[in-house]
Amino acid sequence: MLREELETIAFLAKIEIKENEKEKYLKDVGKIVDYIEFLQDPDTTNLKPTTHVTGLRNVWREDVVKACPKEIIDMMLDSSPEKEESFYKVKKVISD
Amino acid sequence: MDEILKFKANDLRAKICSGEVKSLDIIKSCVTRIKRTDLKIGAFLKLNEAKSLEQATYSDKKIKNDERSGFLEGIPIAIKDNIMIKGESMTSASKYLENYVSPYDATVIEKLKKSGAIFLGRTNMDEFAMGGSTETSAYQKTANPWNIKYIPGGSSGGSAAAVSAGMVPFALGSDTGGSVRQPASFCGIVGYKPSYGLISRYGVCALASSFDQIGILSRSVKDSALLASAIVGKDYRDPVCEPKDWIDFVSYIDNDIEKLKAIKIGVPKQLFNYKIDAEILENFDKAVNKLKFSGAEIIEIDIQAYKYVPALYKVIMCAEVSANIATFDGIRYGYRSRNARNLDDEYTKSRTESLGYEVKKRILFGTYVLSAKNYYRCYHQAQKVRTLLINQITDAYKRCDFIFSPTTLQMPVEFGEVLQEECDIFLIAANLAGLPGITVPFGFTNSGMPVGMHFMGSRFSDVRLFQIASAFEKISGFDVNKYPEL
Repeated sequence: MLREELETIAFLAKIEIKENEKEKYLKDVGKIVDYIEFLQDPDTTNLKPTTHVTGLRNVWREDVVKACPKEIIDMMLDSSPEKEESFYKVKKVISD
Repeated sequence: MDEILKFKANDLRAKICSGEVKSLDIIKSCVTRIKRTDLKIGAFLKLNEAKSLEQATYSDKKIKNDERSGFLEGIPIAIKDNIMIKGESMTSASKYLENYVSPYDATVIEKLKKSGAIFLGRTNMDEFAMGGSTETSAYQKTANPWNIKYIPGGSSGGSAAAVSAGMVPFALGSDTGGSVRQPASFCGIVGYKPSYGLISRYGVCALASSFDQIGILSRSVKDSALLASAIVGKDYRDPVCEPKDWIDFVSYIDNDIEKLKAIKIGVPKQLFNYKIDAEILENFDKAVNKLKFSGAEIIEIDIQAYKYVPALYKVIMCAEVSANIATFDGIRYGYRSRNARNLDDEYTKSRTESLGYEVKKRILFGTYVLSAKNYYRCYHQAQKVRTLLINQITDAYKRCDFIFSPTTLQMPVEFGEVLQEECDIFLIAANLAGLPGITVPFGFTNSGMPVGMHFMGSRFSDVRLFQIASAFEKISGFDVNKYPEL
């Protein structure tokens, strides 16, 4: 794995890697990348990919809004690092 | 060790019913045992002492008045710290969820509350269940009760150590790639992973959704069946959870060794391609002979795709991890960085500052295999190899009823040492194919560490799997009343 590749995926995954950590990540993630290489060996031309094993398709429920008890709403809001009234509070989307 | 702690959950259930034993006495004994031994072991992240004692008093009162609510009334259970209990903290052993309080009950918790079970405490684990040693926990290390120099295995290492050390009769864990069965084997107890879709995962912190199942750690196969009976059932909140009816697993368990007659047990010849610990192999040979002696037919099966298992698992699991962990953004709950300048920065810093190295590594690798450049070559190909594996396993079940192997290829290592990639290969295969698996303790090595054997069944053959495992437990000669000296 190349340093630029690592930087790109870290950016996509929203993880910051300090300069002095890059070598370790490159080595460890690179090791897995090398390790999985032999998955290219088997001929899979006629195989369909497995996404899950259940065979279930489109498990739907009725699209009905169910009221959530206030107690639960409060608990969920209280779990937020910052809130105002009944809203989650976050930083400005665009910085100054 | 208090005599009361030596009873299996099934015995406790009978004794509580008959009034011979009080729930309060059980809880008191567990609490004393935990306080005496857990400083050394580190199995529990949190002990619910006051609440458990209060609940036990209430249970005893109900039993006295003949108002027993369910069939686990007054029996203590430990819960891995990635399963939600309403109003209680749940950390998944991560700094990210340090102050998180669950706003609702997981389905299994809802069912256990109805059954009258008492939640004694929360057990340690690898951070977000990512690991096989419980060392990636952001909070503490857990030691193997049989020798505290060694890891207990993971990721449900806290649950395994707690049951093994006699602190609690059984516990819940979760199993994505052997995370219940591997630590159970390392700690000398029974570990059961149900068929994919048998038990609801609603309210469990997700790792890799196409593999995750809740699992059970106990001192006997019958105890696993008891707990499974309490938590099985269809749940519309987990769309893959599809059992038609409630199953009373425990009613099928009779330790009947006759059940071993006329069954076909497949041993994958691929087993011998790997470096296996000599004492594990020795125990495995003994186990095979005992099965033969009991009338089982042992046949060799050929599943060539086993060699791809660890690699294939890494690709798909990490891809699913990178998607699941994206939910941890520091906005609605969990850790939020104080050093961010804008919203984007807030996401990145919150994740960077609170997630551990192993978690980040898996997210990065998962993002790599899902990125446009590598998607087809890595992720899509792994999904196809998964199909290849499933096809070969399905073929093997045309010739045999169960697939049998040692649970792990290696004994637990010392802290800081790394297990080989292939250690849990026979466990991971069950997750990749959605099959049920159970590890049963079989023997000890010369240095006194337990060795487990693993049965894997076809999908939804869980009842028969329990029957065969309980028959095997009986012929194993393993002394379940032997506890580690602590």
